[in-house]
Amino acid sequence: MSTLGKALAITRKDILSEARSKEIVFSALIFAILVIIIFNFAFGADQTSMTLVAPGILWVTFTFAGVLSLNRSFVAEKEENCLEGLMIAPMPREVIYIGKGLGSLLFMVVIEIIALPIFTVLFNVSALSLPVIVITLLATIGFAAVGTLFSALAVNTKARDMVLPILFLPVVVPVIISAVKATSLALTGSGWSDLGSWLAILGAFDVIFMVVSFWVFPFIVEE
Amino acid sequence: MEQNVFRKYWLAVLGVVLILVALWMVFLYVPTVTQDGHPFAQRIFYFHVPVDWVAFLSFFIVFIASIAYLRTRDRKWDNIAHSSAELGIIFTSLMLLTGMIWARPAWGVYWVWDPRLTTALVLWFIYVAYLLVRSYAGEEVRGARFAAVLGIVGFIDVPIVALAIVLWRTQHPAPLVFEGGLDGKMMATLMVSLAAFTCLFASLLRVRFSLRKAEYLLRSIEQE
Amino acid sequence: MENAGYFFAAFAIIWAVVFGYVMFLVNKAGKISRQMKAIEEARPRRDQA
Repeated sequence: MSTLGKALAITRKDILSEARSKEIVFSALIFAILVIIIFNFAFGADQTSMTLVAPGILWVTFTFAGVLSLNRSFVAEKEENCLEGLMIAPMPREVIYIGKGLGSLLFMVVIEIIALPIFTVLFNVSALSLPVIVITLLATIGFAAVGTLFSALAVNTKARDMVLPILFLPVVVPVIISAVKATSLALTGSGWSDLGSWLAILGAFDVIFMVVSFWVFPFIVEE
Repeated sequence: MEQNVFRKYWLAVLGVVLILVALWMVFLYVPTVTQDGHPFAQRIFYFHVPVDWVAFLSFFIVFIASIAYLRTRDRKWDNIAHSSAELGIIFTSLMLLTGMIWARPAWGVYWVWDPRLTTALVLWFIYVAYLLVRSYAGEEVRGARFAAVLGIVGFIDVPIVALAIVLWRTQHPAPLVFEGGLDGKMMATLMVSLAAFTCLFASLLRVRFSLRKAEYLLRSIEQE
Repeated sequence: MENAGYFFAAFAIIWAVVFGYVMFLVNKAGKISRQMKAIEEARPRRDQA
């Protein structure tokens, strides 16, 4: 089996187990929708203020939902001792990274696909435009790339769930900043040229951290 | 014997000399800058920038030492990284504090979303995570490994953080903690202060390193 | 000299923190010294026994 094939096998396993339990997507989704609704009540006075706060709220929502889904993806492995199984399997450790990473990416994208329309309706902003979708995708890739690395780390520690946000959020600050600013520009109708530099930062982050995490991952899961 | 004593203490001596010279320069030698209307407080700059530089230097050392540790698994590298990170947190905190103290007379507020200060804040959190991960990991060697990963990832992240914040700032101009050119006397003062703080950092690092080495030794003896 | 207060505050904080850290290091050195002495005292008895 090729490297990609092995990675996809891991992803497929994650998808199948998730499809049965629907744990990750469900809880993260409920959380996301709740946050959106609560913030809507907190800020939803007039349309101008809503448009102002919308990008920030959207990305706070996605960030926390993302942390939730990342947390859960490795916890299941640890509890069922699947991690040892994966380690014994005859494949380079990086493959585990790719497989889990793709899985997390997929789950986050599913959550976003469902949350974005709801967001659009509740905040009355045009969040379903192509720019916003591109921004969301780029940011999520960065999230998944770094997040998979850190959740593998977190799962090997004592205070698992609390640890991930503390370790992971400072590192993804540039992703969140860029996503918020770019979304804010996109929602107020700016063109692609304005978004250009923010998309470049997101893209650079994605590439750099996919490479770095890929390189560094084996050190996290080694025995 | 005499030569040995000199070798041991040259760095500290140099540091003390430089600090004294720097103090004289900052207090008495350098002319007052009148541009931002708060002349004397501006001199904080001559402490703030070197502290800034030392913080960055220490995290660069963490980065290099982390890579070396993952490659060689020699605990000496972990020692360097850990000690440097400890100092780095201290100097980053000092950077934030002096930045805030400077901001107050200059702009009336304690915090400004200046690129350097904001990046320092994020950096602070990343390196707190670096120190915390060692205790979270449960056992020492694993903690060292995780910390090394964080040291690498964290350092690579910093330029990107800085870039994002600078870009954000060009769209939302806000007060900068420093701008403008430097004339000869100011530049000289800054350089001396920079050298002084670097020597201070190097001396402290050395001491911390040997203390930690002794701790390792003690721990292994006790475990016999 | 305007706002000298702020300047001295910054100055004082830097040196207070540095001094504090040096004291922390001195304490640690003392602790290590004491532990080493304790081990040294325990050793000769072991050799004799």
